[in-house]
Parts: sequence; structure tokens; C-alpha cells
Amino acid sequence: MSWSVYLVAFTSSVRRTLQTRGQLAVRVLFYGVILGVLSALWKVATSVNGGHVAGYDFRSMLWYLVASEASVISINPRLIEYIGLDIGSGVIAVEMLRPISVVGLRLATALGEALVRFACAIALGIAFAWFTVGPPPDLSAVALALPAAVLAIAANLAAQHSFAAIAFWVNDSKAAWFLYQKLVFLVGGMLLPLELFPSVLAHVSRVLPFWTMSYVPARLLSGHFEPWLLLPQVAWLLVLMAGAAAVFGLGQRRLEVVGG
Amino acid sequence: MLAIEARELSKSFQTRGRKRRVRTVEAVHDVSFSVDEGERLAYIGPNGAGKSTSIKMLTGILHPTAGDANVLGFVPWKQRMALARHIGTLFGQRSQLWAELPARDGFQLLAAIYRIEPAEARRRIDELSDVLDADDLFDTPVRNLSLGQRMRCELAASMLHRPKVLFLDEPTIGLDLVAKQRFRSMIVRLNETQGTTIFLTSHDVSDIEQVARRVIVINHGIVIFDDKVSRLRRSLLATKLIEVRFDSPPAALMLDGVQVVKESGTGYKLVVDTERRSIREVLDELLDHHRVADISVADPPLEDVIAKIYKERL
Repeated sequence: MSWSVYLVAFTSSVRRTLQTRGQLAVRVLFYGVILGVLSALWKVATSVNGGHVAGYDFRSMLWYLVASEASVISINPRLIEYIGLDIGSGVIAVEMLRPISVVGLRLATALGEALVRFACAIALGIAFAWFTVGPPPDLSAVALALPAAVLAIAANLAAQHSFAAIAFWVNDSKAAWFLYQKLVFLVGGMLLPLELFPSVLAHVSRVLPFWTMSYVPARLLSGHFEPWLLLPQVAWLLVLMAGAAAVFGLGQRRLEVVGG
Repeated sequence: MLAIEARELSKSFQTRGRKRRVRTVEAVHDVSFSVDEGERLAYIGPNGAGKSTSIKMLTGILHPTAGDANVLGFVPWKQRMALARHIGTLFGQRSQLWAELPARDGFQLLAAIYRIEPAEARRRIDELSDVLDADDLFDTPVRNLSLGQRMRCELAASMLHRPKVLFLDEPTIGLDLVAKQRFRSMIVRLNETQGTTIFLTSHDVSDIEQVARRVIVINHGIVIFDDKVSRLRRSLLATKLIEVRFDSPPAALMLDGVQVVKESGTGYKLVVDTERRSIREVLDELLDHHRVADISVADPPLEDVIAKIYKERL
């Protein structure tokens, strides 16, 4: 299998996303608003708790939010629903007529889109946090946070494709989208660091894949130099990609598109 | 040499009806036909006849319930990826290009997918641009193109990897008359210059008349006609049209086996039942008993023929 095809799909997607300047601007603006609101809340929360909450001071918490929000907001929030619609309407059937993995091409394309959005969002987030609380607490951890964010986005996309493939069987992936989104928000650590969770929930969260999609890059950017966090990310990414390939393969075999 | 061969191909689907009862719908039933390399075939039928299902089986998207098929030496549903390198598809209602990008960028991605070297891809794009008269179109974002312009780009996308068989499903739907004619002549030109086998489904009779040499009519999943387009009219509709203009209005035009379908002053349009009377007899009678200024004989419109076939087999 030639990886150059996926590279071309990725770069083509990057170019395409850069063309949609209006959409990019709206998304980044939304990210800025969320960041502003959450930073105000956490400023109050840390100040009433003696300057720290579960080991995070306001500075590290703001940098946490910069990465956790950017990693998730970069991905089309309704991706699962859209993939489901493409399965139901037969768009996937047309894509099956190309001599290439449908899910591989879709992942490369989605990754290109998401990384452009991430680059724009994180640039704003860094500027906002730097201006508000100064530089990140640990610059060496920043070097880990960026690849961790890419892995987080890739894992999230692979998981969304796995979830969306349910549409091959039930013709409606809206329920899967709703459930998935809430899991990333809550147990993925997008809104709260896992350290704030009750111990049982924190334990359950670390067993599931969602914490690798938001918490890991955020934990690193908040000044915690913990390179071993990248290992479960890579492992989950491989598992989720294999899972997406497997369920799409099964689904394609099951595909029964009648007529037009 | 055969490009496509279908043998007793069947496909049934299970659907849930009222009270969640499972119902089996037979979309295609024991369909057998073959298509030679370089042929231009129209595969037609009313809505729900099984055309798209047949195409999906022949391109490997659907697994048949029974039967066998061979496209360019591949069993489509078992060797879909390998077959995909040798076939092209164009669906009138689905785009294979990316709306935000100029078609030329989309072609580059397709060239990578089909493992065409960049220099060769550029050469083919230039060649297609000439054939399709689309040079300025390829650099415009697809979303800014008219439907006719977009379809020319879609055709180029389908032909970039030089497929041996091109499956066209309603390719002219939504196009205006001029764009349709242009599109049809491009398909014919590609068939003649590159030897591409054309497998066309369409509800537009002009697509069939101007593109195909042979037609297969399918209804309720069964092949009900398979012959040359020219024979479709003659063998299935035993009528001829006569348009005649007299020097002066005739007193009364009563001819056995002839129906007057239109009358305006000295001009008449007649339908001759050729099973009751030969066209020669009718012409002789008209010329012997009336002062004819002008006369022409034509086959009935193909549209009428096809409508008759569909109705009779319903």
C-alpha cells in the first residue's frame, strides 16, 4: 500500500480547508469565546481554593484548557453524523469504486482538515494564555504536547469513524454521535482534568480511549513533563485505526444500497 | 473479446414491511448478458427496474444473491479494488470531485489513487482538457462551475486512469439541451478514440439514441429486450408515422389501418398500423387518390416504443 496517496489526500485536504477562511474564522472565534469563559471560571475556582485545584494553579489550568479545547474543537463536531449520512445515502458506495481504502482516505482527509483548524486555534490559544498568565509552565513539556495533540486528534478521528460505522447496520448514527461527544467532553478530560474526578471515575476514564484525545496533550501543556503519556496514545491510536478499518470493512460487505 | 459478462445474476433484499414482517424484494432476477469490448450499451428500464442494482453488482459494490459475473476478467464483488483500477464510473447525482478545489487539484489526488506518475497525469489532464474542451474549467473551483461544466470535469475525472469500461448512471440528468448534446458527443468520441466500453443507464431517450448502439431493457429485474437500438423501434412497435401535406384540404381522409392523429389545414399526421396494412399500400393510396405536395415516413419516437415496453411488462 502506497502511503504517498494518503499524503496527497492529507495535503489536498489542508489546501481545501485553507480555502474555507470564513468557516475557519468562525470556529477559531468560537474557541476563543469558550477559552475566555472557561478561563474566567477557573480564575474564580482557583482563587477560592487557595490558588490551586487538584494540583493545578490558574496558570497551568489555562494552558491545560488551551490544549484540551483545541484538540477537540478542531474536529468537525458532527463528523459521526455526517459519516453516517454518507453511509446511508450511498456516498460511501461511490467511494468504494476507488482502488483505495475508503476509511484510510477519509481519515487522511479528516486529519488534514482538523490539523489546519488546530493550528489556527492553538495559535490563538497560545497568544491568549501568554498574554493572560505568561509562558507555559514547562517549555520542555510543550515539545511533547504538540505531537500529543496530533496523536489525540488522529485517535479521535479514528474512534469517530468506528462509531459512525454503526450506520452500516442501523442507518442512523445520530445516537452514536450524541453519546460519543458526551464521552469525550466528560471522561476525555476536555472540561475537567482527570485529577478532579472521583477516584473510580478517574480509573474508568483511564481505561477508556477518550482521555488520550484531550487530557494527554492538555496535561503536558499544563507543565507536566510526563513523556510516558504518549505510549497509551500511540497504543489507542493503533487500536482505534484497526477498529475503524475492521468495522468499515465489515460494514462495506454488508452494504446494501438499493437503487439510485 | 468480452468486457462484461453476467450469468443468471440475481439480487434480492430483505425489507421490513407493516407489523415488522420481513419481505424479500427481488431487485434483479436471473439477468444474463454480455458486452463486447468497445461496445456502447444502454441498459434501461423504469424506476425500480434493477438498473442501479445491476451496476452496483458489476462494479463490485453489491454481492449478488445468486449468479455470476465477470468484468474485464475480474469477479467484481470478490476483486473490487483490482477491478476499480480498470473501470470508470460517473453518477449524474453524485460528485467525485471536491467542491472547494479546482478540478485540477482533484485530478492530482485521483492520479495518486490510481498510481499515475505526476508527469503522465499532467499529460493526460491536458489531453482530456482538449477532448472535453475544458481547459479554463479545470482551474476553477468546482463549486463555481455550472452543472454542465462540472459534468465535463466529472467525465475527465472518470477517464483520467483510462478505464477500459465506463459505467454511466444518469450522466445527463439536470443538464440543459446544449450541454446534454455536447456531453453525449464527448462520450461517443471517447469510445471511438480510446475504445472505452460504454455501459449507460438513462431515462433520457436521446442519450440512448445518440450514444448507444445496443440496448438492454430491464423491468422488474428481468431482461425483456436485448438488441440494436435501431431494431428496438421496428420489432416492438408495428407502426409508422406519415406526415403529409396536400395541395388542398381533402374532403375526408378515411384509410383502412390508418389513424389520423393530427390535422391542420392541408397538413396531416398519420399513424399506420403496419400489421394491418403495409406502408407501401398506404403510400400508394395517398398518392393515387390525393394531390400530395409533400410526404415523409418516419419510425415512431423511441420514447413511445420504450413507454409501450414498460407498460406492457408492468
